[in-house]
Amino acid sequence: MKKTLFMIIISTFISANDQIPGPPQSHPILLKNGVIHTISNGVIQGSILFDNGKITHVGEFIAPQVGTEVIDLEGKHVYPGFIAAVSGIGLVEINAVDVTNDHSERGNFNPNVRANVAYNPDSEIIPTTRSNGVLVANVVPASGLVSGQSSIMMMDGWTWENATLSHPSGLHINWPQMGTRARGRFGRSVPIKNQIERRNKSLKALDDIMKESRAYARLRQTKSRSAENYHNEDLRLESMIPYVQGKLPIYVHANEVRQIEAAVHWSKRQDVNIIIVGGKDAWRTTNLLRKNKVPVIYESVTALPNRRYEDYDQAYKGPALLHEAGVQFCIATAGSAGAAYQLRNLPNQAAMAAAYGLPKNEALRSITLSAAEILGIDKQVGSLESGKDATLFISNGDALEIRTNVLQAYIQGRKVDMGDRHKMLFHKYQEKYRQLDILK
Amino acid sequence: MKIKTILFLSILSILTAQVGPVKALHRNPPRAWALTNAAIHVAPGKTIENGMVVMWDGMIKSVGENVKIPDQATIIDLEGKHIYAGFIESWLDVSTMKKDTSLRAHWNSNMRAYLNAVDLFHPDKKDIKELRSLGFTTAHITPKGGIFQGNSGLVQLGETPKVLSGKIAQIIEYASGSWGSPEYPTSLLGAIAFIRQGFYDAGWYGKSIEILNKYPDGNEPIQANQSLETLFSEKNNKQPFVFRTSNEIYIDRSKNIADEFELNLWIKGNGYEYRRLNEMPASFMIIPLNFPGKPKVVDPHNALQYSTQQLKHWDMAPDNAAKLSDAGFQFALTSSDLEKKKDFRNNLARSIHRGLNEADALASLTTTPAKAFGQSRRLGKVAPGFIANLVITDGNYFDGKSTVKAVWIDGNEYEVEPDPLVSVAGQWTLKESGNEWALNLNKSPKGFGGKISIDEHSFKLKTVKIEQDRITFSVDADTILHKGNTRFTGTIREGKASGQVFYADGNTANWSALLDSTRVKKKNDGKKEIASDLEVVFPDGAYGLDEDVPSPKTILINDATIWTSGEKGVLREYDILIQDGKVKKIDRNISLPRGNALIIDGTGKHVTPGLIDAHSHMAGESINEGFQNVTAEVRMRDVIEPNDVAMYRALAGGLTTINLLHGSANPIGGQNVVMKLRWGSFSDDLIFKPAPQGIKFALGENVKRVRSYGRYPETRMGVEQVIRDAFMAARDYKKSWDIYNKDVKLKRSAIPPRRDLELDAMVEIMEGKRLVHSHSYRQDEILMLTRIAEDYGFTMATFQHVLEGYKVAERLAEHGAGASTFSDWWAYKYEVVDAIPYNGTLMTNAGVTVSFNSDSDELARRMNLEAAKAVKYGGLDEAEALKMVTINPAKQLKIDRYVGSLEVGKDADFTIWSGHPLSSYTICEQTWIEGKQYFSLEQDQYFRQRDAKLRNDLIQKILSSPDHGDKPMKPEGRRGNRFESCDALEAYTMEGGK
Repeated sequence: MKKTLFMIIISTFISANDQIPGPPQSHPILLKNGVIHTISNGVIQGSILFDNGKITHVGEFIAPQVGTEVIDLEGKHVYPGFIAAVSGIGLVEINAVDVTNDHSERGNFNPNVRANVAYNPDSEIIPTTRSNGVLVANVVPASGLVSGQSSIMMMDGWTWENATLSHPSGLHINWPQMGTRARGRFGRSVPIKNQIERRNKSLKALDDIMKESRAYARLRQTKSRSAENYHNEDLRLESMIPYVQGKLPIYVHANEVRQIEAAVHWSKRQDVNIIIVGGKDAWRTTNLLRKNKVPVIYESVTALPNRRYEDYDQAYKGPALLHEAGVQFCIATAGSAGAAYQLRNLPNQAAMAAAYGLPKNEALRSITLSAAEILGIDKQVGSLESGKDATLFISNGDALEIRTNVLQAYIQGRKVDMGDRHKMLFHKYQEKYRQLDILK
Repeated sequence: MKIKTILFLSILSILTAQVGPVKALHRNPPRAWALTNAAIHVAPGKTIENGMVVMWDGMIKSVGENVKIPDQATIIDLEGKHIYAGFIESWLDVSTMKKDTSLRAHWNSNMRAYLNAVDLFHPDKKDIKELRSLGFTTAHITPKGGIFQGNSGLVQLGETPKVLSGKIAQIIEYASGSWGSPEYPTSLLGAIAFIRQGFYDAGWYGKSIEILNKYPDGNEPIQANQSLETLFSEKNNKQPFVFRTSNEIYIDRSKNIADEFELNLWIKGNGYEYRRLNEMPASFMIIPLNFPGKPKVVDPHNALQYSTQQLKHWDMAPDNAAKLSDAGFQFALTSSDLEKKKDFRNNLARSIHRGLNEADALASLTTTPAKAFGQSRRLGKVAPGFIANLVITDGNYFDGKSTVKAVWIDGNEYEVEPDPLVSVAGQWTLKESGNEWALNLNKSPKGFGGKISIDEHSFKLKTVKIEQDRITFSVDADTILHKGNTRFTGTIREGKASGQVFYADGNTANWSALLDSTRVKKKNDGKKEIASDLEVVFPDGAYGLDEDVPSPKTILINDATIWTSGEKGVLREYDILIQDGKVKKIDRNISLPRGNALIIDGTGKHVTPGLIDAHSHMAGESINEGFQNVTAEVRMRDVIEPNDVAMYRALAGGLTTINLLHGSANPIGGQNVVMKLRWGSFSDDLIFKPAPQGIKFALGENVKRVRSYGRYPETRMGVEQVIRDAFMAARDYKKSWDIYNKDVKLKRSAIPPRRDLELDAMVEIMEGKRLVHSHSYRQDEILMLTRIAEDYGFTMATFQHVLEGYKVAERLAEHGAGASTFSDWWAYKYEVVDAIPYNGTLMTNAGVTVSFNSDSDELARRMNLEAAKAVKYGGLDEAEALKMVTINPAKQLKIDRYVGSLEVGKDADFTIWSGHPLSSYTICEQTWIEGKQYFSLEQDQYFRQRDAKLRNDLIQKILSSPDHGDKPMKPEGRRGNRFESCDALEAYTMEGGK
């Protein structure tokens, strides 16, 4: 990458040990002579200009103003930052060390808890993730029946407040298991009767929550003294109001076809907006999803088939099947907190879908604009268009290919420190072997 | 039956009178009987249509069409009845005690070989009665509990069971506790090792006792052990050993054990024998008739939860006995595994409808078990000199509709369902106060019922009660009788009944009735069940092979890009010639002398060696025997699960060879097995035989984690000591054998060292005959283990995971260990906090042979993309990166002479890719092993269509089939997608411990 300075700027090339959040964009930056993957407007051999954190121009040729930092990409690629539609990133450091986990609050009904307040901007996982171009993540709580509210975070910032792009992004429900199992994981078995009882209890609980929340919402909106005097406040029910009113989406985590169908019918009955998360079986019920305009966040393309007899590539081709059936979808990695460290492989998930039938441009869209649309942040991110956030990165090739590397990222125009714990240790031990004369 | 003489037979007194003193007075009722006018099934396939059986003092005296009936015999006319030899129930479990505090007890409570079922048989009279009602007169009783469960026996099922034999066979079960159980073994792995060690111990014990008896001076006495003593003599006496099995794979495992110890093998079967009929041993088998009930497929979504093999099993299980019989196996049938024993006859009838020959069925209940149990001259036939065990039925036993009227055991009659004293059921004409009614009486299992009608009015009878010849019933017939509830009571005699009727108003009158006709029960036969028209595929269920994989002699791939993973690097537009499963030639434009080769157009395609995964748990039915800190005795080869679809899915990702490893629960785990994914093969044929033996070690968090039952070690300090201790013990062990083997006098007169499977494996490591693959993460522990290895004179084959290998790469290189690592896993546990994706590249650059492994059934399907990560992280050359999943793991497993690269003379294990093998957009198109195609997109399409149609047909068949009353089959659920890694398994254990 050749860099021309129209004004004097001190740039650091070597990543620091502690990754320092970038300062606000202080001058316009023009990336020229690149392959610009706009997503919304095809691929352009040309330039992109951004200023004050926003993209101001995308085109084949853009003339720089004075004071613009011009970077000649020499044919390198520019992409909008990849978007993780669900992830536990920032809420977990070491999965097996309990005290580093902040994703699962106690209890079954936690609509009031919010992800961003527990998001650790100094998590070591974050820099390793953005090193692969994932710059925005919808961070979700995980436990119980109603897990809490998710927040859309940028993968850079001094505090969680700096890093929050949007909050709340939605409420998360883990749909109860609808089937029964002879044996669960590791051969443990729960009597069928108990399984059915538990399911019915959970389904009833969900309906009860909605009923109570609606009643609470009515109470809170009634502007009479008697109503105000009559009732005390309730943190949980208060947080449910925008959801029962259909103002914000409810993310229903559901993989099995019966769960998905039950969730869709429930959403109609309750008149709420839902997004299916997981969606492994979504391909079995595409008509219902399309007819009811329920989007799917398809988790884990690289997963085993759900059932022994299913096609070996069933999970790989899931996105292609949804695409062909006209279901709105995007691709995510496993959203469980334990898988947060694997979020950096989000582009591989999209590529795998492309290898098994999803058109390449749709694969790319599935982790950029499609994700932004489902999360409701497509006015800000997801494509390279003027007016949107300058949240983008430069790579040395097709960013869905594993062998490609991200060279530089910008989040709202702020230059991202591309160092991470892994590069740091890599350099440290390269030095060891240089000292031992094993490496030149 | 018509009993001419009414007897009050006190069976009890007769049986106990043999040795016990007489209580009160002697009782000697006559025991001479002649059963006449019956169809006598004297032996399988041999029937006397109208004959007689004479019994005397519990034995059959004569049988024939017209034999002389001794004067003292009482004749019982059995006109219209059938007589069979008493049936033998070949499997009846007897539970045994758990704790044995005897000084002669084995150290492990699973060893109870000395127990005898006949000492512990305290049957519930109800259960015995139920068996008799099915026609069983004798039972093979089998102790249950533990692994070596003790001796079975043979008893007569009379009021007080009489022992015919106290010792038939030793019963063995693959029993184990699960995670967290308080005693070894806790897995199938451990159970099999326990069985093998048990036989070795028995041999050692027997020999030691002989030596001690011969040379009592100077030999230290050994601890007495009743079980080992029993096993020793049983093995020497060629007594049978029966293995309880739960599917066809367990039968194969039993066969392996029997071969190793030259056992007289019997099998307690399971109903899945038909799936691998050609692989079943020619041993005596005891086969249950518990067929799966109808899967619940009415709800289409619920139907999804059944695997195709389950649906097939529903259809094919009732054919099992017929198939075994057709294939010439010797087997007995048992009701033992049935949830409801009364289903036995129905299931037997179903087996017969589906092709089981009646004579074979009869043999399976009589002569075959009689012979196996050493009673062929006493049991199983209706013949002179045989014990007077008989079954009396009112029709063909095997049609499932006839009734067992009685059984005779030791010449004593046990009524099952005797003919009633009077005929009641049928159409009667009843007269009462000038009214003439039609009375209809019928019998159901619940008792009698019926209705009474006049003109077009009809009323149900209430509370019909028949006692002996007395009948009472009531009827609410207000409208006709005008008198409320009316009660009838009376007596029946030979088609006539009469008595009194009590009206609601208190008046009474006489009634009488005449039996017009004995109504014949009409049973709706429905459609006769026929055998399934499905064929078994291998393994059965989805993706199973219809036939053996074709083996073309010559294969030529033209104009492909060939990634040799050898010295020639990547060759563009080259041809590769395969002959007899080996790489014959790699060159440009190979022309063939003869034209009968299979030609594959490789234009635009890339060919790589078949990928190799040096860390896998697929196709392992059991992964961890974690109870003890050292379990070098357990072997993955014993627990191969050839039905695991993970193998097919991995083939679809270009994988051809795996290293099936024990888990990471203990510092020294079990022995691994290297397998080729020859999908469709049975267990032993999956093993890659030339691969050297190996073993799994493990370090760090997984092994030091605190166990609820308390297990050393709990620190990395202790881990080191455990491993050193194991090697020290092995060195001592070897020393004692060396001394013993060299000294002729010792060999004659001293107690030999005890062969220990665990220490054998440890010795093999020190002798360089067993490769060590150690689960490891942190640099300290990696370094530590290289030092131990050097102290004990061997070289580590691989460190597995080895995520901090990059910190001590120079040590790994210097030691000569390979590194089999994850490409980019980290942060899932504390010891991987410093794991980096540059690990592979850094170690490679420092001269270490590095491979990427999966440790996951899912990841194993895309190892080529794992290799691509070595290009991404640290910039390894692409051909070098591919080697991480081809020649490098082959080198680590010491199989690089055969596989891992495409070079002349090597196995033709290769994968054909749609494009660049490291590209994310590339897919695997074909996978070949030894010149045989085990996966192709085309073949996969065929499977998909075949299996989709099969599922649909089966579901239709299930929906239109009658319900046989068996408990509905439960869906397998997610079986097949099991634990994905050591770490997933460990995480689970941790939860379990909370």
